[in-house]
Amino acid sequence: MGIKIEITNNIRKLRFFAAEMTQQQLAEKAGVSRQTIIAIEGGKYSPSLDLAFRIAHAFGVQIGEVFSYLVKEEQSG
Amino acid sequence: MSYQVKRTITNILTGLIVLTAYCFYAFGRYQSGILAPDDLKSWAQIMLIFIGIGIVAAIVIQIVFHILLSIGIAIKENIKNGSCDDQEIEKTIKLEMIEDEMDKLIELKSLRVGFVVAGIGFVASLIVLLLNYPAMVMLNLLFISFSLGSILEGFTQLYYYKRGI
Repeated sequence: MGIKIEITNNIRKLRFFAAEMTQQQLAEKAGVSRQTIIAIEGGKYSPSLDLAFRIAHAFGVQIGEVFSYLVKEEQSG
Repeated sequence: MSYQVKRTITNILTGLIVLTAYCFYAFGRYQSGILAPDDLKSWAQIMLIFIGIGIVAAIVIQIVFHILLSIGIAIKENIKNGSCDDQEIEKTIKLEMIEDEMDKLIELKSLRVGFVVAGIGFVASLIVLLLNYPAMVMLNLLFISFSLGSILEGFTQLYYYKRGI
């Protein structure tokens, strides 16, 4: 039996509550490209701890409010 | 389409153009009998020339690409804001061209693909020598595998940008 960790995020929701902050504005605040924010928001890229903290800082919240992880157990064989 | 994707497509096109030009030129000369299979000096000369052409073409195309990109951004800003503020355009260009951790990771991962292709080409070229093919086949295999490796590196980058990493 294997364990799979899935990282999810609330960036879309947090952007909405931050007066509908645009992806470009968030990218500027976090110091990355818009493409990277799109990838993170869509769950296509898991950011480094450094970037995760910068994103959380951009929203003024704790990192746990932006990212969370789900542990899934996989049946093998 | 992001700046990185556009730049990667430009690099792929440059690589493809140079490789196609090399194949037409070198094999055209070979088929017409001007270039002998054992004339390694001439083959090496042609390859060095095309490596030079490749470098110059990459630089020129990158310059043209960046000029066109800047013009495109300026036009877009002009349409959006109704005015053409130089500082605003400069800021947008800087933001577009930012290279972050995801770009670096994608570059590293795709570089591995390029190395694998070049490595396979190197092994194939050694096998070709063992099978008693002329040395020009080995040289061309090396040259083409390195060029293909670079092109495939670009395609891998595009794949990672689309699918995520």
